Amino acid sequence: MKDKYHILYALSGLFLVTSFFSSCKHQEHEYHNITDKIEAESKDYQGISISSEDFIGDIKTLEISEGAHTFLIPERKSQIKSYTCTECHSKSLAQMQNENEAKKAHWNLGLNHADANTMNCVTCHDGSNMDNLISLTGNTLDFNYSYRLCAQCHTNQFDDWKGGAHGKKIASWAPPRASMTCVNCHNPHDPGFKSRWPAKFNTQTEKERR
Amino acid sequence: MGDSIKKWFSLNLGNSNTKPSGSCGCGNPSGGCGSHNSENTDENAIGEERHKDGFEQVFDVKMDRRSAFKKLTASLMVGAGAITTSCSVIVGDETKEKAQIDWEEQFKGNYKLMSDEEKKGTVDRLVRSYQLRTGKTISMSSKNAEEDVLFGYAFNISKCQGYMDCVTACVEENNQDRSSQMEYIRIHEMEDGKGFNFNEADDNYYHEVPAEGHFYMGTQCFHCDNPPCVEVCPVQATWREDDGLVVVDYDWCVGCRYCMAACPYDGRRFNWSTPEVPEEEVNKNQHYLGNRMRKKGVVEKCTFCVQRSRAGKNPACVEACPTGARIFGNLLDPDSTIRWVLENKKVFRLKEDLGTEPKFWYFMD
Ligand code: SF4
Ligand code: SF4
Repeated sequence: MKDKYHILYALSGLFLVTSFFSSCKHQEHEYHNITDKIEAESKDYQGISISSEDFIGDIKTLEISEGAHTFLIPERKSQIKSYTCTECHSKSLAQMQNENEAKKAHWNLGLNHADANTMNCVTCHDGSNMDNLISLTGNTLDFNYSYRLCAQCHTNQFDDWKGGAHGKKIASWAPPRASMTCVNCHNPHDPGFKSRWPAKFNTQTEKERR
Repeated sequence: MGDSIKKWFSLNLGNSNTKPSGSCGCGNPSGGCGSHNSENTDENAIGEERHKDGFEQVFDVKMDRRSAFKKLTASLMVGAGAITTSCSVIVGDETKEKAQIDWEEQFKGNYKLMSDEEKKGTVDRLVRSYQLRTGKTISMSSKNAEEDVLFGYAFNISKCQGYMDCVTACVEENNQDRSSQMEYIRIHEMEDGKGFNFNEADDNYYHEVPAEGHFYMGTQCFHCDNPPCVEVCPVQATWREDDGLVVVDYDWCVGCRYCMAACPYDGRRFNWSTPEVPEEEVNKNQHYLGNRMRKKGVVEKCTFCVQRSRAGKNPACVEACPTGARIFGNLLDPDSTIRWVLENKKVFRLKEDLGTEPKFWYFMD
């Protein structure tokens, strides 16, 4: 009889040990789903050692704060070829309009952005001071903050851009966040993406499907 | 052989910097190569490991395919030893080194179980081997997952225009086989109003895009947090890293393709032939688990560009996309843009009910 108990003990012990090991194996699935896991594991997020600064390279950036979001965007003015504009635009647009021998410097610029009822050059450009942009209500806006101009109409895109759902980041996913601004992807005079041929066609797949 | 830190067997083929052994190639300090005495010693050293089988490799640290190869090894030893001793005058140092590297690579362990030192060791060998074979220098990283990082991806269906710039960038970045035109990413052209209908979708369109009445969405490996592909691998050649990347050790994969069958998302690709990449197009910035050159008969897939993402860069597809449809980041960083997307957009994943927990979300504007 006693022997039997010994065996029972040994067996139950064995069972305990095995169940211990097998539960260890499933340690990875301690969360119900990925959302729970993200929430739990990011509670004591301390930041990481990787920084985006190594990848931004030569791009000059400036920090902006919009709502709850603070991040870097590329500086604009140094990228405009003949800034400052007043080096040529010594007269206001109103004056130039009446001159016969008006030099056609921007002859290649068309405006393919909304329709003529909604927009013309001076909707965004300050006709009396070409170094700046102008808001719908006539406030001066710096070229570096041109996104504020776009945000006047494109409010949904602006919200998504601030949060990070719209637009691209510069080179790196790591903090500090550095995002492209509107004009880095959209030509403000012709902002839509064009239809074109795809960059690639897989002839092998084509063959296999035949 | 005397090196107790190694988890696998290595042969000294007269390579001067490895071991100060006798003149013979087998690394045995006493007795000549192929002599009865030395063979015995070798056999003992190998035999010591006989109790370690494949199962224990996985649950214990010690692992080597050595015992299975015992007989083969012993006989090869004699052969190799004989060759090196007899030909050492004629055979160049480089040939010997190549043979030495090949040997060590052949019998190395599973990358998943390697210590950092061993990882560096195999990476160094692979770099040297490539140099010896092609005369070109590559850089290969064995960087581990970063603390407090869990990679996630979001794809904006409203933005994708079907340009395929991501696919092109991916192929170039990841040294994918040009002859079979392997592609990790597929862009599916789907008809508006029909939802995600993969049966009717075209993922090999060639006309101007975006086509009228169609939308585009991309698929690739979703780096599932509960990856079925990992469960089924009989040799644990594929696994999930701590930063969430599901990776493959191309040197450990036996090419059974169980994982391909288990993946519900068509995320994996198989090398039916030896991958070909023109030498001038080889991306020399590599990671062991990422874009290093593969061989025939192994499985590969998207790694979220581990060679880039672990360094801090965006994956090549994210960088290449002109529309900003692709968002990548750290799910554990509450201030990251990917987190904002997950918390503020109406996101969903493919086949969510399978419980695979892909870390790849779709959303619309
Ligand atoms: S998408 Fe497929 S290959 Fe990628 S982790 Fe999930 S199951 Fe594995
Ligand atoms: S093909 Fe390779 S990675 Fe996939 S299950 Fe088989 S051994 Fe594992």
